Amino acid sequence: MRYWRRRHEPFDLEAELRGGRPEPTPDFVQKLEARVRENGRTRVGSLRVAFVGALTAVMLVALASVGGVGNASSAARDAAVSVTRVVSPTERVVVVLKKSAAIDQYKPKAKKKTKKVKKAKKGKGAKGKVRARTRPPFTG
Amino acid sequence: MLRRDPLANPEPLIRRVYAYVAYRVGDGPDAEDLTSETFERALRYRKSYDPKKGEPVAWLLGIAKRCVDGRRPRMELASEYADEASPVDLEDEAVRRLTVARAVTTLDDRDRELIALRYGADLTARQIAELFGARTNAIEVALHRALGRLRATYGEEEGPAVRKREASR
Repeated sequence: MRYWRRRHEPFDLEAELRGGRPEPTPDFVQKLEARVRENGRTRVGSLRVAFVGALTAVMLVALASVGGVGNASSAARDAAVSVTRVVSPTERVVVVLKKSAAIDQYKPKAKKKTKKVKKAKKGKGAKGKVRARTRPPFTG
Repeated sequence: MLRRDPLANPEPLIRRVYAYVAYRVGDGPDAEDLTSETFERALRYRKSYDPKKGEPVAWLLGIAKRCVDGRRPRMELASEYADEASPVDLEDEAVRRLTVARAVTTLDDRDRELIALRYGADLTARQIAELFGARTNAIEVALHRALGRLRATYGEEEGPAVRKREASR
């Protein structure tokens, strides 16, 4: 029956060419596919790294343009100082500013300086004489 | 800017490239080698793929065409189907396919390539025309003529086989 049908049906060469298309072995397809995918993965990985690097650079530039880097660094420094204080507290040292406009109001009063008058020694010539600062003797 | 990867889904591409190569050089290890070579080149030059110029399969077939054209000529051409079993032992359908495949090998290079691109790689006449840089109409006419020659060759090939089968029944 099949033979009869084949003999009497019009032969479709195009369908035959499509249907009889050579097929590769599954093993070959699997190996080649794995090879292609492996190569693609490494490429995607390097692209990903490049993308992340570029994004980081853009973010740094954007931050630097508004002074974010300085702000971030000072914040980090403050945080570090705070942590240090918490971890190892030390005695507080009060620093008094010495050069201040207000400091004169609170400084202890200074003692008045009294000038000592040395007494003149008597005798032994003019060399050791120290004249007291007094008015000159009235002569007139 | 990131480009579309032409080899993102390789499995159907492998099948189509293999079918094209096998129609041109015959089914078997040679076709596998040339398909592998095509994909190696494609991996190496994947950055050169331009989606504006066509589909990934057309790009790959262009590479495959160069691989097939550049291969060393074999001592014995069109002998891929010489080792087949006796047609009497095989089913009719398998015999017919083998006869068609053998008829394809008797065509000249140009006809064989057109048949391989149209029925192996499943390209449209328009895609083939883009690949060759020709007009679609010209490709359709060339395909029609190639099919006519193939039909004639197939008739010559099938006659003795049918007679042989009939005698065995």
